[in-house]
Amino acid sequence: MQDTITAVINPADEKGSYLEGAELEALQKYFQSGTLRVKAATQIGETAASIISETVAKSLLYGDITCPGGNMYPTRRYAACLRDLTYFLRYATYAMLAADASILDERVLNGLRETYGSLGVPIEPTIQAIQAMKDVVTQRVGADAGQEMDVYLDHIISGLS
Amino acid sequence: MSIVAKVIAQSDEANRFLSSAELTKLQDFFGNGTTRISAAQKLAANEQKIVDEGSKRFWAKCPNTPSNSGNPQKTALCQRDQGWYIRLVSYCVLAGNAKPLEDIGLDGMRDMYVSLGVPLTNLKLAMRCLKEVAMGTLSSEEGALAAPYFDQLIRAF
Repeated sequence: MQDTITAVINPADEKGSYLEGAELEALQKYFQSGTLRVKAATQIGETAASIISETVAKSLLYGDITCPGGNMYPTRRYAACLRDLTYFLRYATYAMLAADASILDERVLNGLRETYGSLGVPIEPTIQAIQAMKDVVTQRVGADAGQEMDVYLDHIISGLS
Repeated sequence: MSIVAKVIAQSDEANRFLSSAELTKLQDFFGNGTTRISAAQKLAANEQKIVDEGSKRFWAKCPNTPSNSGNPQKTALCQRDQGWYIRLVSYCVLAGNAKPLEDIGLDGMRDMYVSLGVPLTNLKLAMRCLKEVAMGTLSSEEGALAAPYFDQLIRAF
C-alpha cells in the first residue's frame, strides 16, 4: 500500500532529487494533522462495536432487510453484515491515518461489487449504511476528524456505486 | 513504506484496529514532524559540503582508495553515490523508518560494490566520515533523528 509519505518519496527518488518546496509543504501539513488523525483513530478503535451497532440501528435494522427474505436474515447473514461494516470502518480508519485511499482500492474495493453481486448482497442498503456510518463517526470524533473520515467512507461508496 | 504504512500493515495482518502502542508511536512521529522537515532540508542544502568535507576526512585516514586514485571520473562516481546515500537518509528521516534506505540503497549493495572492486571496508570508513560531517550541520534534535539511519548504513558496509 501507499501512504502520503511514500507517495512523495517514490517519484522524488525516480528523479534522484530531495523532497523540496510543495512536497515538503504537503508533508508538513500531514504531520501537523497527525494528532487529529491519531486521536480519531483511537476513538474509533475503542468504540468500533458501538459505532457499528448504531450505524445498523440508523440504517438497516427497522427495514425489510432484517426480515425473512431479506439479506440480513437469518442471523448468519446479519453477522456477516456486521463483519463487513466493521471492515469498512477499519480500512477507512487506516486510510484516514495514511491520508491515502490506496489501501481501500487494494484491500476492500477490488472485486467487492462482483462478490456482492454473486452473493446477492444489495448495493443500495450497503451504501445507506455507510452514509449512516459517516454521521455516527462524526458524532464520535467531531466535525474536523469526521470530515477526514468522510473522504474515505465516500471513497468506499463511490467504489460500490 | 513509511512508519505509518508499516503499523497499518501490521494491524491489518492481525485484523484489528491500531493498538495503543502503535498509535503512540505514530503520535511521536507526527509530533516531531517539523524537526524531521528541517533535518531533511539541511541534509539537502549541505549535501555537497558533507560529501566534500567527508571525502577529505576519509582520504586522510584511507589515502589508497578508488575515489582518491587520481582518476577524476572514479572520484566523481564515488562522491555521487555518497550524495545519494545522504539523500536516502533524508527520505528515512521523513518516512520515520529505514525502508527507503533498505529498498533503494542497501538491497544488492554489497554485490554491486564487490563487482565494482570498491572495498567495503573503505566504504564503511567513508560513510562514518559522512555521518560525522552531517551531524555537524544538524541541531542535536535533528541529529538524533538522522543518526540511526547513518548508523544502519555504516553497519551495512
